[in-house]
Amino acid sequence: MAVKIKTKNGLIDISNGVIATVVGSAATSNYGVVGMASKNAIRDGVDVILNRANYKRGVVVKSEDNEITVDVYIIVGYGLKISEVSRNVQDSVKFSLKNQLGIDTRAVNVIVQSVKVLDE
Amino acid sequence: MVLKEIDSNKFRDMVRVATHRMGRNAEFVNSLNVFPVPDGDTGTNMNLTIESGAKAVAENPSTSVGDLTESLAKGMLMGARGNSGVISSQLFRGIYKATQGMKTLNAQELANAFSNGVATAYKAVMKPVEGTILTVARVAAQEGANKANETDDVEEVMEAIVDGAKKSLKTTPDLLPVLKQVGVVDSGGQGLLFIYEGFLEGILGENFADRYQPDEGEMDEMINAMHHQSVQTQLSTQDIENGYCTEIMVDLTADIPNKKPFNLEEFRNHLSEIGDSLLAVSDDEVAKVHVHTEHPGEVFAYGSQFGQLGKIKIDNMRIQHETIVNDSDEQQESVDFAVIAVASGNGVRKLFESEGVNRIISGGQTMNPSTQDIIDAIKKSGAQKAIVLPNNGNIVMAAKQAAEVSEIPVGIVPTKTISQGLTAMLSFDPDLSVEENVDSMTEDLEAVVSGEVTQANRDTTINDVEVHANDYLGIIDGDIEVDHPDLVTATVNMVEKMLDEDSEIITIMFGRDSNKKQADEVVANLEAKHDDLEFEVHDGGQPVYNFLISVE
Repeated sequence: MAVKIKTKNGLIDISNGVIATVVGSAATSNYGVVGMASKNAIRDGVDVILNRANYKRGVVVKSEDNEITVDVYIIVGYGLKISEVSRNVQDSVKFSLKNQLGIDTRAVNVIVQSVKVLDE
Repeated sequence: MVLKEIDSNKFRDMVRVATHRMGRNAEFVNSLNVFPVPDGDTGTNMNLTIESGAKAVAENPSTSVGDLTESLAKGMLMGARGNSGVISSQLFRGIYKATQGMKTLNAQELANAFSNGVATAYKAVMKPVEGTILTVARVAAQEGANKANETDDVEEVMEAIVDGAKKSLKTTPDLLPVLKQVGVVDSGGQGLLFIYEGFLEGILGENFADRYQPDEGEMDEMINAMHHQSVQTQLSTQDIENGYCTEIMVDLTADIPNKKPFNLEEFRNHLSEIGDSLLAVSDDEVAKVHVHTEHPGEVFAYGSQFGQLGKIKIDNMRIQHETIVNDSDEQQESVDFAVIAVASGNGVRKLFESEGVNRIISGGQTMNPSTQDIIDAIKKSGAQKAIVLPNNGNIVMAAKQAAEVSEIPVGIVPTKTISQGLTAMLSFDPDLSVEENVDSMTEDLEAVVSGEVTQANRDTTINDVEVHANDYLGIIDGDIEVDHPDLVTATVNMVEKMLDEDSEIITIMFGRDSNKKQADEVVANLEAKHDDLEFEVHDGGQPVYNFLISVE
């Protein structure tokens, strides 16, 4: 599955890996997000922080028409308002997908897999 | 007099004034908001966050500063809104941790608290972006710490923190390119500066105005940001509530009869009642005001009570806005090479526009545009050369006539269907000549098979197909090939006939008399048999044809 965009010069095919990288980078640029987590918590461990090359293990993309739905798995720092950090992730993921790839997002579902205690 | 420590009453003042200052400037902070998401709500978010903290402080009767910083931090955490709100809540969480159990704060402790706030705030971010609220907080805390090594006056330390924040805020456009591009400072950093300024104002009390003055340059920057905002929000001209951008300078030293004493706070409050986007600064000599209002005269009359009016400027923003809007309209029209397509249905129009068609002439099967309509469209485009896509066999002749009498070179790509028109557009290249474009665009037409589904209006037999009134007809490249009483079946049967081994992409546009559900049914039917095909479904909104389908 990938997202296809038709333009006057031809078809643009954006693979899920690209989308996962954009989503992951947008999500982790938010304040309070200390890392991306794997969607397969049992296999990969709940609080394993993914590196950039592995962002796609923490992002699920479903596409329909020219719109997509993404699930983002994140780890949030302890002592922050988790609901608000997650809402910021939704906003910035949506914005980055539109801004960088021109894709409209139907929904951004944020799954907080773990909370990391930062030393005080 | 040297102030050695901040007690709980002083701290309450600081929080109260900071919240007030943030609230009053929330709109302005919103106007700066371009990073990380330009949604213009940073000021609102920071205001709600600090308000929630201030409420918690007000409800806590404690006389110990440590208890109050805890309430502030917890209140801000609970009320945190937006990225900037979350960051400031974390900043104050660090401040609370450093002041735990302290009844009062001396200069060193105050500086330490801010430093610890910054240290805590930086921990919860993977890749700190410099040029944001974090940078402003960091530089401010540094300056505070430096000052605390020199003096034990808390006023001076807080002043150093504010100056540090201010200095750092000015550098944010150099650190963050997106800010420079738009020509603003970081919104979150500006919000934090307002909060810090409020703290200082709370400490200094009435002396604040004497000790601390915003400068002229800042005012100009703010005005720019305000106007940046007006352009950014693409409101329509009628939506401008306060039509005159009014700026005055009042020379407060001038001797005038019945001169009233000047108070910036009162002055602002009065003006905010007669306008919005208000900015007002003053020092002992001059007050400078920028306001959007319906009654510029009232601003002059009010200002002139406090002194002589210096520079006066009024712009009618409605006219300015209309000019901007008209300019962009004209820009759209003055293309060098125009493509004009005949189409009907909103969805179809949008598809053509998204492919770069400049003008659409309404028309299709039942209402063919005349030669004159096409000539008019060519003229209106203002272009030096043009391509016309008739998108219907019946219009090709009219288009050719229009091309013959046109004053500019016009090429006709003989597209007989909407699908052909859309495919032809893919080969359009504005850098090539009319002839070259007609050649390359026509060449591609062979690659696409067009199908149209519509309802029969009478019984007949064409091409060995028995047609019954009210049945659905599948028309492939202009020939009726399929007849079936069920829309979906007729469409699926038609597409089956259109396929060959090179077929890859099938585009389906459902029209006014059909819907997405029916289109999806067609796709599901076809997908079951052909798993190598790709489908695209669009809402064409076209009349007459239930489905327009192209196979490439």
